[in-house]
Amino acid sequence: MTSAAHSAAIARLLTHPAIWRGGDCASEPASIASGFAELDAALPGGGWPRGALTELLVEREGIGEVRLTLPALVRLQAEGRSVVWIAPPHRPYAPALAAAGLDLARLIVIRGCSSAEALWAYEQALRAPECGAAFGWMQAHEDRALRRLQVAAREGRTWGVLWRRPGQRASATAAPLRLALSPQQTRLAVRVLKRRGAELAQPVLLDLARTPGAPLYPLPDGMPILQRTSTSPPPARQHRLRTSQRKAS
Amino acid sequence: MLWTCVLLPSLALDVFARAAPDDTQRPFVVASGGHYPRVVAANGCANAAGIRGDQLISAALAFAPDVVVRDRDGDAEAAALAEVATLLLAFTPQVSIVHSNAVVAEIAGSMRLFGGLTQLLALLGASVESRGYARRMAVAPTPTAALMLARAGHTQPVLRRSALPDVLSPLPLTMLDFEPTTLATLKAAGVTTFGAAHALPRAGLARRFGQHVVDTLDRALDRAPDPQRSYEPPPRFERKLVLPAPIDNVEALGFGVNRLIGDLAGWLLARGLGVVRMSLALIHERYVRDRGIPPSTAEFRLGAPARAPAHLHAVMRERLARVTLPASVEAIVLTSDETAPLAGRNFGLLPEDEADAVVVPLVDRLRSRLGDDVVTVLATHPEHRPEYATSATTPATRSSQPRTHAHSTGPQKRNRKASPLEQPSAATDAPRPLWLLDEAKILSGALETAPWILRDGPERIESGWWDGHDLRRDYFVAETPQGGMVWIYRDHRYGTDDGEWFMHGVFA
Repeated sequence: MTSAAHSAAIARLLTHPAIWRGGDCASEPASIASGFAELDAALPGGGWPRGALTELLVEREGIGEVRLTLPALVRLQAEGRSVVWIAPPHRPYAPALAAAGLDLARLIVIRGCSSAEALWAYEQALRAPECGAAFGWMQAHEDRALRRLQVAAREGRTWGVLWRRPGQRASATAAPLRLALSPQQTRLAVRVLKRRGAELAQPVLLDLARTPGAPLYPLPDGMPILQRTSTSPPPARQHRLRTSQRKAS
Repeated sequence: MLWTCVLLPSLALDVFARAAPDDTQRPFVVASGGHYPRVVAANGCANAAGIRGDQLISAALAFAPDVVVRDRDGDAEAAALAEVATLLLAFTPQVSIVHSNAVVAEIAGSMRLFGGLTQLLALLGASVESRGYARRMAVAPTPTAALMLARAGHTQPVLRRSALPDVLSPLPLTMLDFEPTTLATLKAAGVTTFGAAHALPRAGLARRFGQHVVDTLDRALDRAPDPQRSYEPPPRFERKLVLPAPIDNVEALGFGVNRLIGDLAGWLLARGLGVVRMSLALIHERYVRDRGIPPSTAEFRLGAPARAPAHLHAVMRERLARVTLPASVEAIVLTSDETAPLAGRNFGLLPEDEADAVVVPLVDRLRSRLGDDVVTVLATHPEHRPEYATSATTPATRSSQPRTHAHSTGPQKRNRKASPLEQPSAATDAPRPLWLLDEAKILSGALETAPWILRDGPERIESGWWDGHDLRRDYFVAETPQGGMVWIYRDHRYGTDDGEWFMHGVFA
């Protein structure tokens, strides 16, 4: 046998799911491409895990954290599965979501229930076969509840995302994937805190400026807002009038 | 053609016994009204005491002083018969009510599907008995013969037409619905059996008693066509169930609710519908009603038309768990408020195809527990003002199938006040945030500490002078000192150029 044949045989042997080598990632049974090649390369299985919880620690709002997930959601909806958002922090703005390609009829939004009810709804959504992704913005989680959710996600084959603030980071988690999101200049830095695989030292830098739902591209030079008492008029750049009937007349 | 007749011999009693099973332990009679009420029906206990049908009530009281007497409830009997007819519609499309206590159904076409005549009859009988009615059944090639045989207690099925004369001849003429005078005249002439009547000269019989007598005899023997008027279930389902005893906790309602859901499912199947909206009214005891407390009602809305009892029951159970009863309940009423056509489900070719049991859609489960205003589906609304550009709808409204008797008329009738500037703003190229704050947040203090950078804008949005929510704002995309992208505006509502800054959205 030649050495090439040997190495091919060994490589085939190593693809066995029971074998895990420290250097690489565990093979995820099913994943959904995130739409960002750099991120997919860092995630086990090459995308967001179906049938598992993902924890996203967001440093602050408005850094593109939801935009990061939209391509995968659009893909899931195209498969005919629905998306459930439980207790989002603000009102989802339908025109922007529709412009980003989301099918609003397949997006169920649950707002205004108690945290116990939200947890119940989250588990139901994770277990439901018709639900492709369930996002939860719940405040506090007990460890036990989290493990229950992870089991529900695995049984329902649903991508569950738990949105958390960085303060909750220190505690151990049952979620097999945990990412921290923070802004870095104009880009989004994704640090992999936990994955089924080796540790990743460098954060993945993503440019979200072109993604649907992004505010603007390219990012123009800004100017600071002067003190609110200032009487200076707004910057004299193109003044896009939308509906100013009175001004037009 | 093969007809089965389902006769409810003690229907007058059964409608009372269903409501109060305890009364069956005591002598119980149903009385006709009027000045001299007579016994219409008596239960076994009363029969043992010597009470017979058509006795005067005073005589019955002499036999058994503790007898319970109720006036006959014709409406309840008619409703019960309609219920049985609806049940039979699950087995065959041709069902007719032929008498005040008898229903006939054509079963030749259904035997194969239900696994043969014996199996089908057992299923029919079990489904009638499960509703609490005593029944007697007979099978014959004509509906009239089936009715006669059921009345005579002839339970052996008669399958062939040629066997009819032999079977029917010895039966008394009283098994047929002739006028009492006809029967009396024939009896005086010594004609008491079907066979004897049929042997009489036909022309003379018709001249003496009318053509319908001859026709009836011919129809029984399948020598004349016998068209039956098909029973049609009512267009709207509403059924009341009087509970055996007042109930003051919701869990105990399960039995009654189950029964009504079974009825509703049968009605839906008979009409080929699925229910979209239904309501359950819990009627309190009389003394509570007199105090002006209205019945508690629970409304249910489903994401898509549904018919499976397990599905309906799961939805109802979640919703009922949240109902608190102000007083005990003596009756429940289930009503179908809105229905939509629902095709039947084909059986799978292979046995494992049947493994997928009824699955309650996620939306229905969530909404039945959390409520309609919590679980929403968003939709865009053509409107320039950001606050009004999102409308939250209930998931059911996106079902596009036509409704049979929705109480609103017209498809998607828009009765909103038409605004002069209405035009779709979906295809805007201006930046729009994914999150909109519930309330715009004033920024006066935040701006003092560290500078916010304006990245894009201004975009003037000025609209709404016609409906009182007038606004005039310059929107900007801004970067907060911490690096987040937000949507902020300067309020120019009062005409000044140095209005307050507000944060309104987040480019999440």
